[in-house]
Amino acid sequence: MNFQFSPEDENFRQEVRQFFQDSVSPEVAHFGYVGAHPPPRDVLRQWQKTLHARGWGAPHWPQEFGGTDWSPIRKHIFLEEMLNANGLDYGWQGTHMMAPVVIAFGNEWQQQTFLPPLLSGEVFWCQGFSEPNAGSDLASLKTRAELDENGTHYVVNGQKIWTSDATIADWGFFLVRTDSTVKPQRGISFLLIDMKSPGITVRPIISIDGGHGLTEVFLENVRVPKEQLVGEPGMGWTYAKYLLEKERTSSAFIYFNKRELEKAKVIARAELIDGVPLLETPVFARKVAEIEADILALEWSVLRILTKEELRDNLDAVVSTLKVRGSELQQRVTELQVDAMGPRALRFFSHDARQKDACDEWDDLWPAHTLGRTNMYFFQRASTIYGGAREVQKNIIAKLAFGL
Amino acid sequence: MDFNLSEEQLMLRDGVERYIRDDYGFEQRRHQATTGEGFNREHWQTFAELGWLALTLPEDVGGLDCSFVEASVVLESFGRGMVLEPFISSVMLCSRIVDRSGSEYHRQALLPALIEGRLLLALADSECDTRFTLGCIEETLARRTGDGYQLNGLKTMVFDAPSADKLLVTARLDDHPHPAIFVVDRTAPGVEVIEYALVDGTRAADVRFSKVNLPATALLIEPSQSQPILEEASDRAALAVVAQSLGVMHGVMDMTAEYIKTRSQFGQPIGKFQALQHRMAEMFVEAQHARSILYRGMAYLDKPAEERARAISAAKAATGKAGRFVCAQGVQLHGGIGMTEEYPVGHYFRFMTLLEKRFGDTDFHLARFAKGY
Repeated sequence: MNFQFSPEDENFRQEVRQFFQDSVSPEVAHFGYVGAHPPPRDVLRQWQKTLHARGWGAPHWPQEFGGTDWSPIRKHIFLEEMLNANGLDYGWQGTHMMAPVVIAFGNEWQQQTFLPPLLSGEVFWCQGFSEPNAGSDLASLKTRAELDENGTHYVVNGQKIWTSDATIADWGFFLVRTDSTVKPQRGISFLLIDMKSPGITVRPIISIDGGHGLTEVFLENVRVPKEQLVGEPGMGWTYAKYLLEKERTSSAFIYFNKRELEKAKVIARAELIDGVPLLETPVFARKVAEIEADILALEWSVLRILTKEELRDNLDAVVSTLKVRGSELQQRVTELQVDAMGPRALRFFSHDARQKDACDEWDDLWPAHTLGRTNMYFFQRASTIYGGAREVQKNIIAKLAFGL
Repeated sequence: MDFNLSEEQLMLRDGVERYIRDDYGFEQRRHQATTGEGFNREHWQTFAELGWLALTLPEDVGGLDCSFVEASVVLESFGRGMVLEPFISSVMLCSRIVDRSGSEYHRQALLPALIEGRLLLALADSECDTRFTLGCIEETLARRTGDGYQLNGLKTMVFDAPSADKLLVTARLDDHPHPAIFVVDRTAPGVEVIEYALVDGTRAADVRFSKVNLPATALLIEPSQSQPILEEASDRAALAVVAQSLGVMHGVMDMTAEYIKTRSQFGQPIGKFQALQHRMAEMFVEAQHARSILYRGMAYLDKPAEERARAISAAKAATGKAGRFVCAQGVQLHGGIGMTEEYPVGHYFRFMTLLEKRFGDTDFHLARFAKGY
């Protein structure tokens, strides 16, 4: 065993840190801090262009597609430093979900058509997986894609829900049913759809944090050239599982958890109880410490997976522990912020009130570092629901770790 | 001992429950929360006509002289309905302060009007760095003038201030360590109300007082008398919040049980899964014990201050924790739909976030309780 980052990796960290210090604009930092969903499109575009100009638009892609040759540890360091600097990890659906599938299973035309504009920040993607009656039970999805009489286009009908950021996305990758005669998982395909296609209607869903990020997407006789089906028909379920396996550790939200913990400390240092910083009171200090200890454990769990420890336990069960613990920490750490803020936490900031201009005028009564924290706390109720609900993750653990 | 409601109390409960069910629908509430004052004056007038604003006040000002039990019955339903009207501020908190002020002038001037629904009050006490402390006068100063007082200062997070006719304002007077409490017109010259919305849709404000001239009669309570009155009224209001929280928990449980019986995944209603059944059972455990500690709190309302404070703190702390758990699990068991602004369960979660902090959060009350060790 070797418990240290190598000196080269430490140097790399300094280089990345410097880059983010120099390149995170006030606009980006605002949305990185506040977390209003979604940030304005031009802020996102500019940010992706900044990363791309440095050659870091999608470091986890293979080099031949514009990625890097970084080790998993370096990719980890990169993301950690980016979030610490309040950079945005917003194009995630495109760069981390669609792209790996197109790189692994797409053809050359798909790779050349869809990857470069994603890298350069010209195009944003959304993900159409869940449906009203296919949430935790995703395999029961019903959105149909049928070849037309000429055999040149799929005609897509159905409804997706919880599609993040479809209002600002140019393209979406969808799981659709192309064959209803086989067992559910076998009849699903992975289809790339232009969100401007006739027959697509996007309806924003206002979430309890006041955000506009979630949407419903209605597809009515949407014609999609069959060239936009990735890989083989009927293999969509396999590809979706592949992309989840590529992103084993992301469900821990370790960078988010670490950063939000630091914000909680900043708030708790500024809040006073009888003249003493809240963070220095035994009760609150203990609460912070309990959460921090769990975050440190989670971080090293992530490192164990990233460095490919040869586990004696079932890998998928261990990965599910990252999701279970990570999502609970997302809720605990944002609750910690709300509890640190005390009565101040009760003011509700609308989506508009969390935009940059609205926040530039601020006064002593409402410290800027408290902005958006309560909204974030509300939004984090979703962390144990999306991406495989906590209950489903626990079923996976029981089954794979213990054969139950 | 007898924990049963009397015949009259049962009638009151039926009446309030019917009103919330039939006349206080979620859609209407949701609309109201984002419109105008954030609540509906017609509801308030109906509350007055039904006698709900008069319950706990004495007969000489037009009150019904009931016990806290009657109030708790109303409050539990108000919690379930997430009632927006300023019942806690006006009726549970401020009317109690006025009633116990010893000022016959203010009792007669304010309480009958309040009972009739013609007058709303709000307590302007908390300041920038005071969190949950009561009697805050670091930033608010009253100076004696020839014929009265002049008030300067800044209060923050004044619940229900934007709609209040009069504010009860705590301020330093004559360098006394405890506050004087003044009755101040919200629209008086020099009073600036900076309004904002809270997480449950109700409104609060930062209130700035700049050379506000008050007549001698504006003094409601002398500094030497104020602190125990503030604390007693705040304790009662905290227990009122406990009763509301109980209504919230039952609202969440009913809604969630109904949902998981109808929502199907993996070929069956998700309520058939034992993991979810146990979660519902855990929520039920919390709600039962919250009711018990509410009753215990009521039993201590008229005890000496220290005993009362500990009983209220035990109730507020236990219920804050229970309510958070129940609301969080309510959202969780609903899945994505629970995250939407269109659906009630997320509003319960937001409302409970407020209730947990109102009149002291769980940590504040645990610390206060532990002081008795």
